[in-house]
Amino acid sequence: MDSRRVIDGLSTVLLWAAGFFIMGLLVFFLAYILGQGLPVLSLEFILSPSKEFEAGGGVGPQLFNTFYILFLSLLFSVPVGVGAGVYLAEYARPSRLTNLIRLSTECLATVPSIVIGLFGLIILVNIMGLGFTILGGAAALALLNLPVLVRVTEESLRAVPQTYREASLALGATRWQTVRRAVLPPALLGLVTGLTLVSGRAIGEAAVLIYTAGVSVSRHFPDLNPFVAGETLSVHLWYVRAEGLRPDADEIAAGTAALLILVVLAFNLLIGVPARIYQRRLLGKH
Amino acid sequence: MSNRRTFDVELDELKQDILRMASLVEQSIYKAMESLFTQDPLIAKEVITRDDIIDRLRYEIENNCIRLIATQQPMARDLRVIVTGIKILLNLERMGDHAVDIARAAMCVCGRMPSRPMDRIPEMARIVQQMVKDGLDAYVHGDVEKARAMCAMDDEVDDIYNLLFHDLISYMEDNPDTIPCVVYLLVVVRRLERLADRATNIGEDVVYLVTGEWEELN
Amino acid sequence: MANKITVRNLNLFYGDTQALREVDLDIEQQQISALIGPSGCGKSTFLRVLNRMNDLIEGVRVDGQVLLDDEDVHGPEVDVVHLRKRVGMVFQRPNPFPMSVYDNVAYGPRIHGLKNKRRLDEIVENSLRDAALWEEVHDRLFRSALGLSGGQQQRLCIARLLAVEPEVLLMDEPSSALDPISTLKIEELLQELKKNYTIVIVTHNMQQAARVSDVTAFFLNGEIVESGKTDTLFTRPKDKRTEDYITGRFG
Repeated sequence: MDSRRVIDGLSTVLLWAAGFFIMGLLVFFLAYILGQGLPVLSLEFILSPSKEFEAGGGVGPQLFNTFYILFLSLLFSVPVGVGAGVYLAEYARPSRLTNLIRLSTECLATVPSIVIGLFGLIILVNIMGLGFTILGGAAALALLNLPVLVRVTEESLRAVPQTYREASLALGATRWQTVRRAVLPPALLGLVTGLTLVSGRAIGEAAVLIYTAGVSVSRHFPDLNPFVAGETLSVHLWYVRAEGLRPDADEIAAGTAALLILVVLAFNLLIGVPARIYQRRLLGKH
Repeated sequence: MSNRRTFDVELDELKQDILRMASLVEQSIYKAMESLFTQDPLIAKEVITRDDIIDRLRYEIENNCIRLIATQQPMARDLRVIVTGIKILLNLERMGDHAVDIARAAMCVCGRMPSRPMDRIPEMARIVQQMVKDGLDAYVHGDVEKARAMCAMDDEVDDIYNLLFHDLISYMEDNPDTIPCVVYLLVVVRRLERLADRATNIGEDVVYLVTGEWEELN
Repeated sequence: MANKITVRNLNLFYGDTQALREVDLDIEQQQISALIGPSGCGKSTFLRVLNRMNDLIEGVRVDGQVLLDDEDVHGPEVDVVHLRKRVGMVFQRPNPFPMSVYDNVAYGPRIHGLKNKRRLDEIVENSLRDAALWEEVHDRLFRSALGLSGGQQQRLCIARLLAVEPEVLLMDEPSSALDPISTLKIEELLQELKKNYTIVIVTHNMQQAARVSDVTAFFLNGEIVESGKTDTLFTRPKDKRTEDYITGRFG
């Protein structure tokens, strides 16, 4: 047998093994976390408020805060991030300024989240005197996600064939009509993928929120006031393990972790599946 | 510089084929006249049998032209080369037929050749043969001037034809016993006149081939 | 016949390179004009001047006159969006939008503000009929256009263009990506369309230019070497370079 075939066979096996390793890792994590956490999960755990020094209690407010902060942060970051992405992809002509914008975005994307958290602590909590608030947490989170959104938007718009733009413009469409009707629809799946990525990261983020949204929850539940502190699930997970004041910290942490995973999964399905169906319709596959 | 070397070679071969056929036709005309002047039926027979070759050649070359049109989609000058080629083939083939008619007539006049009206026939034949030769030269070299000059010679041929025609008629009136023979001489001069017309057609084809314009040359 | 488009002394530059030189051309109403020439000769660039699609390219400079019904398309009052509605374009590769057949055809009327459902239905049907596609798609109007064959997609693009009621159709090698049968269908369609539209077609296929067009212009190195009636140009071109090009003996 000639050596090229040996190498070919060998590399196939290796690549295959690498793929399975990743899958195995994921399965292991899921099995471990869900195995530990699922027994703890109950409707009561999910909905009831947590207790500070005694056993029992749930993560209701944290779950609520997780979504509330996510929602608020997307409210800030999506318009700005998508807007900047559209600008870069569709309007900006190559110039020093657009290169600078792109460079800034990339730099911002590499800033560690703890730095953003401390930045939020200094600016929002101390200088602006807001204290630990849901609003501050959402703002810092938005800052963290902004570069990713810009990047994802730009990339998914660039992936749309130039011919769609030409066709639209040649029919007498304005630039904005072209973007809105011909470019954005086919780019939607990319955008949604980016959105779920960003959301997943937001749901799992702790470092930023510890210093901006704090580790306590409102006395009321649910509390829509954005100017109160709002601990999220991830922060709660960290806090429970780090402080360890509760007798059943292990169980609470396990349950919270399992819940976090389920929430991210549900979130992905919730946005991802309809987007995929929409995409298939566009491409004419049934 | 050509991207169509194969096609160019084929066009060249087409020209060569047409010339090969043309030289056969020229020979036929020459031999037909020779058989008349020498009163040699063997030469006349040779002309008649050769005509099959000419006819076959015509269809072969014509098929080749059609194949070139179908497979090469010729444009502009290439198209004109092939289209005039087809027309020249037709004219040549008819010229071959005229030579056969002359040879047949020559066989019929055999041995009973009246001397007097004959003297202008060689001159007429000479001019006609010159026209055929010039016509083909003009085709080979794409020489419009030569083609035009050749076509002008047709007038001369027509003049001689008219003279000869009257001469022969009056000769028959004067010598009724020669009628069965002189009638064939009438055929000969008539065919010579037609040969000149065919040569003129070729001349017009040459002008079209080169300029792309149709010109009535006689 | 009247000129629909009159081009005089047109020069076009991409940065420092000149892509079109001193181009003069008359494009007559309700005729098919073919632009032929080797790759990079400027014929597509010229086509894109006519509806100012070149505006989208960085660093393009144009001088000279391009008159559409006596109005300079580069004039200060000209609204490019309106110009492109009047002078529409079909591209080399069929480029239907990834939406339904119906939405593709309705795209143009909608962006120009038409909302009336019944009127839209009417336009969609008429445009598809005019593009000789109705019979093939009437039962799948609401399925994705990307499921159509290449030839159907190109006719859909033509229908999409007809729906905005243009006056001039610019076609940039409209059948170069299609099989021979689809190509012939497009060519037949052009003969129908020319009754109502002025058509300018860029083609690499000389037989196509000879078959479909009334007038042909031969471009070389950004200049028009020769233009005139198609049957004359293809049987007895005046210029040696035209002769060499159309007989396939070009450099």
